[in-house]
Amino acid sequence: MDQPEILTPPPAQVVRVRGFVKQYKQHIAVSGIDLEIHKGEIYGLIGPDGAGKSSLMKAIAGVLTYESGTVEVFETMIDTERAAERVKQRLGFLPQGLGLNLYPDLSVDENIDFFARLRLVPEHELAERKARLLAMTRLDKFRARAMKNLSGGMKQKLGLICTLIHEPELAILDEPTTGVDPVSRRDFWAILAELLQERGMTVLVSTAYMDEAERFHRLSFLSSGKVLASGTPAEVHALVPGSMVTFEATPQLEAISRLKTGCTQVEALGPVLRVFTEDTNPVSAAQAITSYLGDIEPQQLHVDKLDLEDVFVALLLREADQPPPSPELPTASVSSVNHGLAIEAKELIRDFGTFRAVDRVSFQVKPGEIFGLLGANGAGKTTVIKMLNGILPPTGGEGWVAGEDMKTAGGAIKERIGYMSQAFSLYLDLTVEENIRLFAGIYGLDRRATNERFAWIVSMAGLQGYESSLTVRLPMGVRQRLALGCALVHQPRVLFLDEPTSGVDPIGRRHFWDILSRLAREEGVAILITTHYMSEAEHGDHLALMYAGRIVAEGSPAAMKAQVEREAGQLLEVVTDQPGLALRQLERAGFAGIALFGAQLHLLSRDPAQDEVRIRESLASEGLHVLGAAIRPLSLEDVFVHRVMALERRDRETTKGAAA
Amino acid sequence: MKPADRLVVWCRRLTVMTRKELVQLLRDIPLMAFLIYSFTLSVYVTGNGIQTQLRNAGLLVYDADRSLSSRELVSRFHLPYFRFDGELIHADEGFRRLDRGRSMMVLDIPARFHEALVSGEPTAVQLLVDTTNAPQGLSAAGYAARIVGQFGQESVLARNGLAASSSTTVPMIVSDHRVWYNQDQNETWFESISHLLRMITIFAVLLPAAALVREKERGTVEQLLVSPLTPVQIMLPKVVAMTLMILGATAVALFGVMQPVFGVPIRGSLFLLFSLTALFIVATAGIGVFASTVTKNQAQVGMMTLLVVAPILLLSGIFTPMETMPAWVQYLMALSPLRYFIEIATGILLKGVGFDMLWSQALSMGVVGASLFGFGLWRFRRQFQ
Amino acid sequence: MNLRRVAAVASKEWREVTRDRMFLLLAFVMPAIWMFVFGYGLVLDVEHISFVVVDRDHSPLSRDYLYRFYQSRYFDFQEALAGEGDADVWLQSGRARAVIIVPEKFQERLLSGQPAEVQTLIDGTFPLRADITKSYVIAINNAFNQELLVDFLARTRGLSRGEAQRRTSPLGIEVRYLYNEEVRSTWSTVPALIMFSLMVGSPLLTALGVVREKETGSIYNIYSATVTRLEFLVGKLIPYVMISAVNVAVLWLMAVLLFAVPFKGSLWLFIASSILFVLTSTGIGLVVSLLVSTQQAALIITVVVSTVPTILFSGLIVPVSSLSRASQFQAHLFPGMYYTNITRGTFLQNVGLAVLWTDILALAIYAVVLGTIGYHLFTKRPRT
Repeated sequence: MDQPEILTPPPAQVVRVRGFVKQYKQHIAVSGIDLEIHKGEIYGLIGPDGAGKSSLMKAIAGVLTYESGTVEVFETMIDTERAAERVKQRLGFLPQGLGLNLYPDLSVDENIDFFARLRLVPEHELAERKARLLAMTRLDKFRARAMKNLSGGMKQKLGLICTLIHEPELAILDEPTTGVDPVSRRDFWAILAELLQERGMTVLVSTAYMDEAERFHRLSFLSSGKVLASGTPAEVHALVPGSMVTFEATPQLEAISRLKTGCTQVEALGPVLRVFTEDTNPVSAAQAITSYLGDIEPQQLHVDKLDLEDVFVALLLREADQPPPSPELPTASVSSVNHGLAIEAKELIRDFGTFRAVDRVSFQVKPGEIFGLLGANGAGKTTVIKMLNGILPPTGGEGWVAGEDMKTAGGAIKERIGYMSQAFSLYLDLTVEENIRLFAGIYGLDRRATNERFAWIVSMAGLQGYESSLTVRLPMGVRQRLALGCALVHQPRVLFLDEPTSGVDPIGRRHFWDILSRLAREEGVAILITTHYMSEAEHGDHLALMYAGRIVAEGSPAAMKAQVEREAGQLLEVVTDQPGLALRQLERAGFAGIALFGAQLHLLSRDPAQDEVRIRESLASEGLHVLGAAIRPLSLEDVFVHRVMALERRDRETTKGAAA
Repeated sequence: MKPADRLVVWCRRLTVMTRKELVQLLRDIPLMAFLIYSFTLSVYVTGNGIQTQLRNAGLLVYDADRSLSSRELVSRFHLPYFRFDGELIHADEGFRRLDRGRSMMVLDIPARFHEALVSGEPTAVQLLVDTTNAPQGLSAAGYAARIVGQFGQESVLARNGLAASSSTTVPMIVSDHRVWYNQDQNETWFESISHLLRMITIFAVLLPAAALVREKERGTVEQLLVSPLTPVQIMLPKVVAMTLMILGATAVALFGVMQPVFGVPIRGSLFLLFSLTALFIVATAGIGVFASTVTKNQAQVGMMTLLVVAPILLLSGIFTPMETMPAWVQYLMALSPLRYFIEIATGILLKGVGFDMLWSQALSMGVVGASLFGFGLWRFRRQFQ
Repeated sequence: MNLRRVAAVASKEWREVTRDRMFLLLAFVMPAIWMFVFGYGLVLDVEHISFVVVDRDHSPLSRDYLYRFYQSRYFDFQEALAGEGDADVWLQSGRARAVIIVPEKFQERLLSGQPAEVQTLIDGTFPLRADITKSYVIAINNAFNQELLVDFLARTRGLSRGEAQRRTSPLGIEVRYLYNEEVRSTWSTVPALIMFSLMVGSPLLTALGVVREKETGSIYNIYSATVTRLEFLVGKLIPYVMISAVNVAVLWLMAVLLFAVPFKGSLWLFIASSILFVLTSTGIGLVVSLLVSTQQAALIITVVVSTVPTILFSGLIVPVSSLSRASQFQAHLFPGMYYTNITRGTFLQNVGLAVLWTDILALAIYAVVLGTIGYHLFTKRPRT
């Protein structure tokens, strides 16, 4: 855990990779990577989908061949199956895909037993370890439940237990947190940190969530099969000097086009603009922005340090030969006649057997509005969407979509909506063009209209050059844009997007959101979207937070933050040298609702000044140092974590109460 | 929308979806390779190889007489029906040799066989037949009886001074058999046709079933369900695409193997043949569609279709004649489209008959097919509601 | 080979199978249903051949002659036609398989000691049926001729009927049927149906086993663990071999109790070779599943590979000896043929290892070859 210890004496090498190259037929996935992992550290591989993370991890785990270079694990050269077998007992490998390597029909217990027996864990040790791990992950109540009936977060924890049940010295975890909600993700990292501390394990982990990079001791940032940057988070930070300026400006579209003349990164989050400048001095950075804006006056301007995600985006942009396709949205001939509400849900209910997945959910979405539906895995978001677009009949309640009643006009609704499902649902064995033309035909477009829309989609989604590529060969970000294009082929008035950006790299996500904003602002399309990226949720005009099938909070992002501040106080951010230990110490000391954000501790406080003193005292008693403490503006992630954790606490107390 | 526009949109949806299915099929290289194998090489090997008539029945002879007559009789057991496996030294050797299973029968000719024939004393030869394969054993015994009977009759005539050659003076029925449609009783014709039908059946059931389950498993069906496509518009294109694909394969088998290599005649209308083949494929696909709606994964759909397909393949009259089946099987098989299609296919190809002769078969197949397909469709719609 | 790891794989596989209720049900029910349907349905005695007659003579003798066809259980009389012209229609439409045409002066010629030619038109589309029809007609004609000859000799030579009969006594043939003394076709089909049900059903049990794990990604658990290839393949196979073994027992009981087929041979030999056979048939599915990359392809290829050769080339109906050389070769490539020999041999013939050792050896070689192929196809460190 402790960095100085790792640096002196010379650290033991667990993994050493030199000049690693992996090729799939003609396609080069990884071209020449060097990597060293020291004993006892968490090493992170970060990068967009298709960067080569998985190939590298599989090769290290000995389950994939490679073309050239050397891979050494525990000082054994992994070059044949036989050589790989020699180190496999000391490895644990969790492949990508949430719960996909588990056996859906087997119970939690049976899944763990299988992994343990496959690794020849003695039965008495198995019972003891299993009990400990299940308790730690709070899965002990669900031992007999079939894996397929677990929520996403629980599946992920079960996957971790199964990977670690034989106590490997090196755990290789491929995107363990993709598709998991922020609270479960947090839980996952906490458990991993605890295990690491207890067992002195080494971990190689990959993630597509840039904000998780702060949790790694060292990391490599991969893109297109090459390492763009590596080192400790601080070292990587130092690669890109600069700062982030946030402000509000109207008219926003004009402001953006002015800023783009000189700034590489401009992002609109609802009314707020975030602009990157290479200037590290707050005053001159603000001045630079103001000069670009000209006669537009920025409101509520403040300058922040870059977070790691901004650094990665800057690195990616630096790497790219040309700036990303600026989506010149060709205007389509739509009459955005206002039908009143685009979506209205009234007391929607859906039961699966005795389980109520959606419980009296009501909300409204206006044309041109982006409506974000947030919530943990299994909160009922997808079920709501499926009911509204007619895949699932509701058990009770009513709904109107695009001006038509859900019950009586299913056909008419389907003509007017677009849908992107959680799992990629286009045909992988068709080309980009074939997919677009297929959906054009399905929606009954004639030849002329099809050609027109095809051209529009290609330019809107930046698919130039990909037209005749098979969809299966596209990077994830491009696939998602294609899926969006197909959902828009018939110019729908309402768009349903269920986790459209899961696993997409930050540039792809920003590009994607640019398109969505324009659709909403310029064409008046109503968008209902779910996401696990809370930074994305800031784009929403209106948000609703679901928990256990019900909407527990709603409002604009600002209103939701304000509400939490009113209820629970201001956000106090504490920076310490050992965040994991500090977190547990503070929990023991009675600070409720404290959470780890990157390397910082976040806590809501009604009296920040006094709490800061108490925290310093409490940590000092354990020999932990506070490096800094400050009041920060709330992010949506804070809101989400606060709300969901509070509800979970309440649930636990009521079940305990019921049990007692 | 006007009804005319509605129709245009309907057709457009059908066209794009059908094209999609075809493209997907063509891109599955192993599957295509296997389809081609099934309709070419496999048809060739089977057409060439299967002989349902008696062939090469191994014959052992114990000749206690060793006379002119006994040799004459033995010489009448010849290829292609009988294969001479040698003479036995001892009569009791026969059982042991039959146990080994290489030979099928023992002909035991008694001593004084020749004398008895000449003098008109009653005499008999003995035949031991292995009937572990009952029909084969019976068939061999039947052939042997015919040979022995003929031989006996000739000696009776000779003995009574009625030379067999001067049959003009003997009152007997001369059998004049005319085998129509296939004078030489060329088995490759029927066997290649029946194998083609077998392959059409297997692919017609499995392709749409597997494709529908695959859309369910991969989640792509969701994207289709939120579109304005009706369940019929989702399912029908699959059936249309598979039908086109199988019709193409049928044409390859017919014009690439059966006609040029085996000389299978095409005496009737090709148009009629292909139209009714299309009807048959659609009818059979109904079974696959139904199976896909009651199953959740590929393993289940495989078992379910095989459960039904195996009886269809064995009991529809392409493997053994319909005349062999007990009445209840014949009633049960009234539900099998293949039962009608075998008559249609051989009718058009070998008999050269037209629709006027086949309408009742075609109608029955149509009714059964429409019911199967309708039932499959009904289940398919129901599962999404 | 570490048995604990084999057990871990096998018990996981077993649990997954038992949780899939429909699959489990079908796995057990399918062979039994087939046995039942084919055992009763796949009877091979050709009966009720539909025919029409054209009687141009309309004499007592012609009626006497045709009556023999009407009486026969092998023939099904449809209609007496006025002339030959209508005959085509009957054959073409498939409503009749044969037309018997009795010529004019049939009685006159025969009574005056002259031969008469009876024409039989036979539908040759299905050669097997045509062949059988022909032999039935010949049999009836021969019997009729025999009587004609006795009559003729008695009239022309002034012999007593007894004397005439003695002098025309035909050469007798005593046929003794071995192994299946009553020549019941069920006795020969039912043992072969045990082969059929296992050979067609078992590969499908395992066909999706490895592809499915490849598609979901759970195969990485195996790749990354220390379980060896052999341990994995054996563990994977055990549950399905067990299911198939239970099916062998059920099918054996059905054969003996329901169809009353005598079991004359050694039960131990039967059990041992059945287990060997079940290993090969499930092994075929496993090998297909290692070869392909999609479940759809695995499914279709397994169905075709297991069904077609089993129906055609395993001796179920068509004896391997009457196949062409190329097909005989193909027949020897599939395990079905060997096991058919073993089931028929142990059920009906009471032959032992001395005779069946070649078939058992062939199955053993087959199992070893499949195992070797599987072992080499399965790699824990693949290219993609």
